[in-house]
Amino acid sequence: MNPDLTRKPKEPRRRLSWGLQWSLWVRSLSLQASWNHQRMQNLGLLWNVLPWLRRQKRHINQDRLFFRRYYGFFNTNPYLANFLIGGLVRLEEDRSAGPEIESEFIGTFRDSVGRAFASLGDQLFWLGLRPTLVMLICFSGLLGQISSIMLILGIFTVFQLVLRWLALQRGYELGMDIVDLLFDRRWHLWIARTKRAGMVLTGMVIGLYLAQITDTGVSPGRGMLWVGTGLGMGLPVILRKRLPGEVMILAALLMALVLAFAI
Amino acid sequence: MIPWVPPGLVSDPNLPALLVLGLMAGLLALDDTAFAQTWFGQPLPAAILTGYLFGDPITGLAVGLPLQLVLSGNIPVGQTFTGDPTSAAIAAVGGTLLAGRPLSPVLVADTVGTLPLLGWVILGAGLLSMLGHLLIQAERRSNGIWMLKGLHSLRDGRLGRIDSLHIRCLGTTFLRGLASGILFTLFIYGAWVPLYDHLPGLIRTSLGTLPLLLPGLGVGTLIDRYGLKSSWHWMALGMVCTFFAARYFSGVLP
Repeated sequence: MNPDLTRKPKEPRRRLSWGLQWSLWVRSLSLQASWNHQRMQNLGLLWNVLPWLRRQKRHINQDRLFFRRYYGFFNTNPYLANFLIGGLVRLEEDRSAGPEIESEFIGTFRDSVGRAFASLGDQLFWLGLRPTLVMLICFSGLLGQISSIMLILGIFTVFQLVLRWLALQRGYELGMDIVDLLFDRRWHLWIARTKRAGMVLTGMVIGLYLAQITDTGVSPGRGMLWVGTGLGMGLPVILRKRLPGEVMILAALLMALVLAFAI
Repeated sequence: MIPWVPPGLVSDPNLPALLVLGLMAGLLALDDTAFAQTWFGQPLPAAILTGYLFGDPITGLAVGLPLQLVLSGNIPVGQTFTGDPTSAAIAAVGGTLLAGRPLSPVLVADTVGTLPLLGWVILGAGLLSMLGHLLIQAERRSNGIWMLKGLHSLRDGRLGRIDSLHIRCLGTTFLRGLASGILFTLFIYGAWVPLYDHLPGLIRTSLGTLPLLLPGLGVGTLIDRYGLKSSWHWMALGMVCTFFAARYFSGVLP
């Protein structure tokens, strides 16, 4: 038997039209603008996919069903959402071409893939890249490098905008197969790398800060300041409770008052 | 003259500068979660940009850096979103510079004379961020009400309603940022900074230590988030290398 006959015939690469990709991309930047406690990003997602709907032959009942599909609870990571948006547009297109894909399937696909991307994106962006970049700009700040701070954030901005643009096309190309993307080991590799970089940078910020306060002739004296800094670093770890930064400012004020009494 | 401020205590604010500051606060409020999320709305870049606006980015750095460090554990994800550090950082820098009390000497002149004022301004920013949190929650509740209005489109199939509701949400975020940016700045300028001159000595001494304690607390939050067991060796590596490199170069370099 010819092995080629067992293979799935390769489909030609499908591309989003430039105009549609542009509209979807611009709108995807504001996915979270209408974030609400009840259904989170549902209105944002529906608003995102409207440019595709506007380009179709319209019928009021079809539009109502379309709205219904997108008005349920939805939440995902904004930086990776475009993989899903591209995939959803592809599914809608396939559904409008033939009845093979059921309405409920699109809803299930949206929820499950959205959740998976939310989890990956939270690990990669919020717990990996963000603390790393924050520590990098703080390190530059401690060195007094203002232009470096702006440059670092500028590079990140370009990176994430390009990622969103490419993700839209990739999601559209893959359609349902974006599920395969989720199993790519490189996600976890990058999560681990960004977290490790964040840990090293956090250490670098501590090191530079301690070196700087050693040189500072502050009134409570170096010793007390070292005690205060050590206490500050230990407090969140000992408490095992993640307090908002604003509450920690008040905690720091309390510590500062105690130090002022102590000397 | 601002009506609630005793005459002669402070000068008139520069109104065009205040308006530009408000516009910037509105745009950066959008950046926080509503549009693009470039992270220029983080306290440090927001404070530096405000400093540039008033011709003193070093004051922006002095205020933004401790704020950024202590708020580094705040993650703007869905329900866990806390505070409004963007408007607070803008107001802290804008209000202080409008009041003619630059904080750049803390960093430029290598002096600790302005540290207590810096601590006072950061404390004000923290309190304003908490107040801003209430406004953000109110905005999100209004988003919820508008989202429910969109349910009408499930009956009549009108696309235009969805467009207008989403754009209304974007506009609300911008206006919230603009309003809180201006009002918070006026508060720092007209009430918070003038109040500093009437504080007792002990409080001032404590405030002088406050900015120096914040980095420790911020870094502690990150250590807790990473997990002490899995992260201590990486952190120790970065810390030891940087500490000795900094000590060495501070001795070698002029």
